[in-house]
Amino acid sequence: MESLQTAWPKILAAVAKELLLLRRDRAALLVLFIMPAVLVVVLTLVQENIMGLTGQEKTRALFLDLDGGRVGRSLQEALAGGEGFELTVLDGRQVDETELRQRVRSGEHQVGIVVLADASRRLRSLTGRLVRSLPDRTEVLSPVRVVFDPGSMAALRAAVTARLRMALQMIALEDKLAVLDRELNQGLADLGLPPETVPAPFSSLGEILARPVLTLEAETADAKMRHDPVQQNVPAWALFGIFFTAIPVAVTILQERNSGIRIRLESLPVSPLVLFTGKVAAYIGVCVCQFLLIALLGMYLFPFLGLPAFDPGPAPLSLLVVIVAAGLAASGYGIFLGTVCSSHEQAAALGPTTIVAAAAIGGIMVPVYTMPPVMRKISVVSPLNWGLNSFQELLLRGNGLGAITDDLLRLALFFLVTVLLAWKLART
Amino acid sequence: MKSKGRAGQVAILAQKVRKQYPGGTEPALEDFSLHVEQGEFFGLLGPNGAGKTTAVSILCGLFPPDSGLVRIMGLDVCSQGRAVKALSGLVPQDLALYEGFTVSENLRFFGRLYGLGGRRLQRRIDWCLELAALADHGDRLVKTCSGGMKRRLNLVAGLLNEPDILFLDEPTVGIDAQSRNLIHEQLLRLKDQGATIIYTTHYMAEAMELCDRIGIVDHGRLVAEGPPGELLQRSSCDSLEALFLHLTGRQLRDS
Repeated sequence: MESLQTAWPKILAAVAKELLLLRRDRAALLVLFIMPAVLVVVLTLVQENIMGLTGQEKTRALFLDLDGGRVGRSLQEALAGGEGFELTVLDGRQVDETELRQRVRSGEHQVGIVVLADASRRLRSLTGRLVRSLPDRTEVLSPVRVVFDPGSMAALRAAVTARLRMALQMIALEDKLAVLDRELNQGLADLGLPPETVPAPFSSLGEILARPVLTLEAETADAKMRHDPVQQNVPAWALFGIFFTAIPVAVTILQERNSGIRIRLESLPVSPLVLFTGKVAAYIGVCVCQFLLIALLGMYLFPFLGLPAFDPGPAPLSLLVVIVAAGLAASGYGIFLGTVCSSHEQAAALGPTTIVAAAAIGGIMVPVYTMPPVMRKISVVSPLNWGLNSFQELLLRGNGLGAITDDLLRLALFFLVTVLLAWKLART
Repeated sequence: MKSKGRAGQVAILAQKVRKQYPGGTEPALEDFSLHVEQGEFFGLLGPNGAGKTTAVSILCGLFPPDSGLVRIMGLDVCSQGRAVKALSGLVPQDLALYEGFTVSENLRFFGRLYGLGGRRLQRRIDWCLELAALADHGDRLVKTCSGGMKRRLNLVAGLLNEPDILFLDEPTVGIDAQSRNLIHEQLLRLKDQGATIIYTTHYMAEAMELCDRIGIVDHGRLVAEGPPGELLQRSSCDSLEALFLHLTGRQLRDS
């Protein structure tokens, strides 16, 4: 074994060699730095739009009241009073339902709500008949029509429909109570009793029923941490870029093997471990730079694009441990690829294909929880999934390194296994 | 070179070396023995697949033999491999250069792996550039150099550590007459300075011009050994090529 004193300058020489080779390789720089930077910006912007389409942002709605009565007024108040809608009220004298449909279809608004003409009078008549005679079959009214943008997603449709149903039930309930109250007072008057005769709870039945007594508290498990596309995408696409370092690692190995360089290196008084350490150290440095670039874009460019800024969390140094572990796994895979493949073309085809597949399986492109059950089970075999889980524990759940020991060990083990396989293959 | 070689002292000693590659049907080297003195220019000739490159690889410590003894300047190649590598230089048959580096960057990198640094490394780089007639091309990317320039650079990259023993595996393949002539001149200069040189080649004229002694290898065995003139005298052949074909046969060796 070489002493550290003689090995150290040689390791530095190997690091410098790898970095210089990379600096002169424009295609590799493009893949390692520009590709993940572009992907993180584009996909975060796209996913912000998806949030809008799925109702995670305020829904832009057109409201056309052709009724002009209580139903239209109450519904407008109920929708405008909540947080979910950005309501644009149209004048029923100037705009008809056809124009509203066109404006929704054009994508200008996600939802169009039309309160049909005569809705209030028909509701009053229906509830009057219901209260007075309780018929066997209840007639059902459709006083409101909803039109959705063809591009809106199922989640948004479900949320809007539920909200409207709730508002209509409240309006119907209020109407029934008003009719009941009127009928009660009429009954008392027919009996020659004053309205005060009704006991207290029944005299204010309308108000009692209308007042909410139950509410729902919904919040994220840890309210300190943010969960949005920025916090998901910045580490995810940085990780994607980190695993692409496997390609230049493999290419340099092939270049050295297919020329006389490897023979020359083997003929020098230098341990293969020194060259190996230099290669891995250089690419871990590259991985740190990649993450820094993506994180800085998230922190300083995203706010200019109307996106929330990336928050590196309470312990940014913990992220470094994940980056190093992911860098080790990527380098190991690159060394394995460089040994298994016999040409640059093979590595250039096999490398990106396997990394993109591992990224898709691992939840980089689509969160794992949205995948079918079978894919959710398969996702645990992807090293990118281990890296992403680690980042999410630190950034989204606010946990420390203790919570990601398993995933860090998996990444380290992946590095060891790929390097050992490569070493065994190289010897045969 | 570090020191003037002392004639009569053994530089390379190989005895009964055997090597068979995994999956090979017959050994690449069998009962291979060689004795080269310090300061000697020894040519290793043989048809394709005869075992020349295997012999050079074992002698400079790239991999161990299956059996037999190999000593370089008195050091055992198997147990003292790194010491052997420190005092020898190898010029591989294929170009062993980073095409994306400049001429100087290549020399600097390999020089650092030899353990050189600072002024000493710069002096060695300058010396190598001068020797290869590349002093004006130090900043040129290797991929933009001509074949001859690359071959000359390939040669001097093996001289950075001032080796006592230089192994050259067909160093003049595919280059123009001028570059070949320059390489010949510089190799003879190195020999005059005391270097021991092992030279594999297919060019008989080269072997006649450069080598003190030659060894002809076939089927992994040394079938003839001696000064070229003496070998011709001992045989009835009128040229080294005729002797070579007489000893190794006229059958093509494509596999």
